[in-house]
Amino acid sequence: MASLKLQHLEKIYDNKVQAVYDFNLDVKDGELIVLVGPSGCGKSTTLRMVAGLEDITSGKLLIDDRDITSMPPKDRDIAMVFQNYALYAHMTVYENMAFSLVLRKENKNVIHQKVLAAAEILGLTDQLNKKPAQLSGGQRQRVAMGRAIVRTPKVFLFDEPLSNLDAKLRGATRREILLLHKRLRATMLYVTHDQTEALTLADRIVCMSMGHVQQIGTPLELYDTPANLFVASFIGLPPMNFFEGRIENGSFVSEDFKYPLNAEQKELLKAYENKEMTLGVRPENVVRADSGIRVRVNLNENLGQTTLVHGTAGSSKITCKFREWCDYKEGDEVYVGFDRVHFFDKETSNAVR
Amino acid sequence: MDEKQIRRDRLRYSKNKTSSGLALLAIVLNVFYFVSIYKSDVGNYYYTWLTGVSIIFNLVFMLTVFLCSEGVKNYHLGYSVTLIVVGVIQFVRTRIIPKKAYEAVVILADQETKVMTDAQHTRIIIYLIASGALLILAGVIGIIKTATLRAYEKELETKTAA
Ligand SMILES: Nc1ncnc2c1ncn2[C@@H]1O[C@H](COP(=O)(O)OP(=O)(O)OP(=O)(O)O)[C@@H](O)[C@H]1O
Ligand SMILES: [Mg+2]
Repeated sequence: MASLKLQHLEKIYDNKVQAVYDFNLDVKDGELIVLVGPSGCGKSTTLRMVAGLEDITSGKLLIDDRDITSMPPKDRDIAMVFQNYALYAHMTVYENMAFSLVLRKENKNVIHQKVLAAAEILGLTDQLNKKPAQLSGGQRQRVAMGRAIVRTPKVFLFDEPLSNLDAKLRGATRREILLLHKRLRATMLYVTHDQTEALTLADRIVCMSMGHVQQIGTPLELYDTPANLFVASFIGLPPMNFFEGRIENGSFVSEDFKYPLNAEQKELLKAYENKEMTLGVRPENVVRADSGIRVRVNLNENLGQTTLVHGTAGSSKITCKFREWCDYKEGDEVYVGFDRVHFFDKETSNAVR
Repeated sequence: MDEKQIRRDRLRYSKNKTSSGLALLAIVLNVFYFVSIYKSDVGNYYYTWLTGVSIIFNLVFMLTVFLCSEGVKNYHLGYSVTLIVVGVIQFVRTRIIPKKAYEAVVILADQETKVMTDAQHTRIIIYLIASGALLILAGVIGIIKTATLRAYEKELETKTAA
């Protein structure tokens, strides 16, 4: 296993599209890093540069402090698992998993033991003689992973490996990947646009937008202390509510409501008196109150344990996540308060901390 | 697992491609045989009904061996045995048409001339014998591998049962 360093990586495609800007990341040995971001933000491009499938325009790539920037893919000792599995249809599971080793002319007995060991880890022992067409999507994805495991690569790369699976299987396979990571203690780079996957799997998350890294941190850091408006709006489901306003006399004042700051917040926002701010509140931080901000209910969604209430506070939309069963009707009014808020500088969109 | 056991264990996940390949090669040699035999510069040795039977036999032969080449892949004893039987028939065939053709003569300029040259005869005999040998070899390998695999599977069964 190995550490991986990405230093000032940039990618400009032949058509002058710059897909990745100054990407810096130190992946520690055995760490699972998740790259997350909306479609087209450059996640796959970054991963493909690490795999060697895409030329690196500028910057450096190191494995165990060895420069592999211009090394051909087959020498990098990196295994990639693709979204569409890329299995050979005419080969059995066993042959699919053994294939890369057969190409390397490894001893057949050694290959056999590696394949059996990988199949055991992945629970594929009974499927080894089947063809990919006879397997379920989840099993196929496991075969694709098995093919990576038998190679005992230094680094595993995953590009949206679960997006072809239905929701239930996705959850199960996600947990399997997590277990696999624990068992192999492998260095992994995992790309997804699904924040649930990112939050559940990652040791650290890299959140990207438009080719730029927005924030790197643990799942909790990204959830609890987002660096800017983009990360705040991307991480969390349902997404954070945002209100535009300004700081006036120790309160956040928007068109629709006035939110008095506590001592700590006043201290924090001293420099922002009379400046434009964005206030962010996660739906789960909106709590029912006897008085405060008045929300007019548009829609009440019961999820069992929680209720999502969509409404408006004056002219602003707001989503509240209450921890109990509620039965609001359209047009009902409810008073809410915020038990945790985030402030963002409207000019730079960075969080004020 | 020691080396020997791994080799046996591998049988469970690999097909018997050796036997299958040998059988296909035997078909190719048989094709060489029957495109070579009816060629002659002098006269002919067509035997109306025998030639008909020979054509049909060659078709049936190719079909059978091809089916067997697929069957042996999956370690079915019957296909291995069939390959051996067909292999033996290839040997027997050397005594029928090739023999008759080799003995046939025509009168050319008042001289008895052999319809088939020695070289041609040797060639077709080699094709047939080689084809038969490959089939028997394929069958024997198939039987050995199948027996090994079955014994190993039984061993595993008793082990898991115990
Ligand atoms: N071969 C290419 N040539 C030119 N531009 C490309 C090429 N591949 C990708 N791009 C562009 O680079 C940007 C990043 O693409 P990339 O595939 O890395 O996105 P992504 O984050 O993986 O998105 P998704 O979640 O949809 O897979 C996009 O704007 C895309 O149009
Ligand atoms: Mg992608």
